Amino acid sequence: MEDISLQSKIDVLSEEQVLIQDSAVAFIAQDEELKRVRASRFTQPGYDKAVWQEMAESGWLGFLVPEEYEGVGLSFSELNLVLIQLGKGLSPVPFVSTAVAAARALVKGDNEALKKEKLPLLVAGEWTPALAWQEVRANLSEKASAVTCANDVLNGVKLFVPDAGGADAFIVSAATDTGTGLYLVDKDAAGISIEYEQRVDGGFYGHITFADTPVSDMVAAAGNGEGQGEAVLAAVLDETRVAVSAELLGVMTRALEISVDYIAQRVQFDKPIGSFQALQHKTVDLFILTEISRSVLLQAATVFDSDASAQERAIAASQVKARCSDAALTVGKDAIQLHGGIGYTDEANIGLYLKKAMYLSSWLGSASAHRARYAELTL
Amino acid sequence: MTNTTTTQQVNYNGMDDDAFRQMVHDWFVENYPEELRFPPERMHWDQCGDWYMTLAKKGWLAPGWPAEHGGMGLDANKLLIFMDVNESYGVGRTPDQGMTMVGPLLIQHGTEEQRAHYLPKILAGEHIWCQGYSEPGAGSDLANLSTSAVRDGDDYLVNGHKIWTTLAMDANQIFVLVRTDKEGKKQQGITFLLVPLDTPGITVRPIVNLGMHDEFAEVFFDDVRVPVANVVGGEHQGWGIAKALLGHERIFIGSPKFAILAMSRLKALADMAGLFADPLFVDRYTQLKMDIADLGAAYKRFVEVLKRGGHIGAEVSMLKIWNTETQQRVMDLMLDAAGEHGGVWGELETADGVARAAGDFIGARPTTIYGGSNEVQRNILAKAVLKLPS
Repeated sequence: MEDISLQSKIDVLSEEQVLIQDSAVAFIAQDEELKRVRASRFTQPGYDKAVWQEMAESGWLGFLVPEEYEGVGLSFSELNLVLIQLGKGLSPVPFVSTAVAAARALVKGDNEALKKEKLPLLVAGEWTPALAWQEVRANLSEKASAVTCANDVLNGVKLFVPDAGGADAFIVSAATDTGTGLYLVDKDAAGISIEYEQRVDGGFYGHITFADTPVSDMVAAAGNGEGQGEAVLAAVLDETRVAVSAELLGVMTRALEISVDYIAQRVQFDKPIGSFQALQHKTVDLFILTEISRSVLLQAATVFDSDASAQERAIAASQVKARCSDAALTVGKDAIQLHGGIGYTDEANIGLYLKKAMYLSSWLGSASAHRARYAELTL
Repeated sequence: MTNTTTTQQVNYNGMDDDAFRQMVHDWFVENYPEELRFPPERMHWDQCGDWYMTLAKKGWLAPGWPAEHGGMGLDANKLLIFMDVNESYGVGRTPDQGMTMVGPLLIQHGTEEQRAHYLPKILAGEHIWCQGYSEPGAGSDLANLSTSAVRDGDDYLVNGHKIWTTLAMDANQIFVLVRTDKEGKKQQGITFLLVPLDTPGITVRPIVNLGMHDEFAEVFFDDVRVPVANVVGGEHQGWGIAKALLGHERIFIGSPKFAILAMSRLKALADMAGLFADPLFVDRYTQLKMDIADLGAAYKRFVEVLKRGGHIGAEVSMLKIWNTETQQRVMDLMLDAAGEHGGVWGELETADGVARAAGDFIGARPTTIYGGSNEVQRNILAKAVLKLPS
């Protein structure tokens, strides 16, 4: 399938970035027809541990982990190259949950001993934590209230934890007398119960109840100062939004490629339907949305790889999450339309892209939620 | 050859970017008339002629031309900065076809004699050029043009009808695409001709646009005698060289500056009308603001290509589409926000100056039409970038 993105035409990658991208392209090519993706739908944990190990060996899990904790210490500009490919391949691995959200919470938290102990395990693919922060549907607040921590014991309910099924542990935000802290909880700790809810893309959200559950360690002390729970969580969520946006970009890019390929070949009225102007113009609009999204993502990566302030990062994160959420949904919907009847079948792969877009665009704040946040931050 | 009448021997490209930006800005502050900042429509010669001559004297009329031909010789990066300061200071466009079209064309494809004759006259403000491309029957389908040039000794006899010629009434020269061969593919058989507008047989008739402004004109050619020596780039070669001209200049159509300016006017209007208390308005406003911010990210990405000395191809059409359609949506909201003032020509006083909702709304109409309509841009992207079948 031809690469129609403008990346190869107008962007410049470093040699190292080319190598990273090539290996990610090769990685998703192993399941080009999405047979493994299909087989993993509605199963737990929903991905192949051998695949996860392969990613660990490529060093990807340690991209955002400093070298002192056996990570690779790279930046978003490199990470996004991998995430775009994972999006194109609809890879069901818990990459964003573990290698971005959880890893970054540990890195940014203030428990040095825990970093030294756990981050090398995470990077090696031997330990798979997930971040449990959300308490209310469609709410972006980093302040915990429904889940509390007192005397090293958690109580309350966390919602919408992706990849909870395959996780070994949770990093949980919880309210204390001195603000929000982040705590590590083993999955088999006492008093944990998880209710799984099927997502449209074939994965599961976990809704996790803690009943006098003992914490095994502190990830970030309660408070809003540097290295403390609320500030760490806010920063990590914005980083995760950039990562999800990169995955969304991959999803829309591939959905567009598949659709262009399809309308160029599908013959009706004795002509390829891709020769009809109505379809060409619709498809061009999707192309423009995709490239605008790519431009915004490149800019966001630059912001996150710089020493920009928390406010500047929040603006960049909302800008890119709003655009990519919106664009991926639009591309996904119109891709179905361009396919006609076959696009509405479970058998055609194009529908899988729409469903992935539905999941990722609604997770961590929808387009409209991030537009509202952007307005608040910039008006 | 050199045309050094006004050339400044300054190595602009060697300057620090910020220092260069500051220097250009300071000089504009000192020399550009305050009352002409951010003009709402294209200025006529009687408004901007003095400014044109000021630029000419300074040697800044042709920022992109090589210094050896009397330009500033700016590289892509400095040229972008120069244009950026122009836009942000609200410097209005002069009749600049001589600088943006004729000069670069002659430098690339002209003869020594043509360069020696025309370039100094452009730089001195003696020749003001306008562009004769479109015809009543050749708009988006420009290659369909039918204005004919028939050989008669050492001359051509030109007959036909050009339209949408911007500011023809202020110009004294016109460059035209004419048909010299009716056989074969329409793109072949087109020739690029330079014609003094005072040649007998030429009639210029202004066209009043929807903004009630005579920005355009029709130009009629009735047995107009033009020397064969006025051909640029060889007989029948006009299409190729006219297309080649649309190089780096195309990036500027993607600049978000105009949309940002329109948003600041909208904001002033909305502040005055108390619209930021209306969540529906805030949502629409924020969407536009983000559409423009995202355009900014895309524009920068393309600009990087030029800074690297790279080439921008057909894909740049995406910037034109996004930019112009976003501008029109800004005007939609402006018209809405203005209430009854959306139906009058007059200006509304705001804390930030004036808002002219109806005028700006009308003024945004042609942005999706000129330079190849957005529908044609989409055809180009479908074919050249998506490789869709025809």
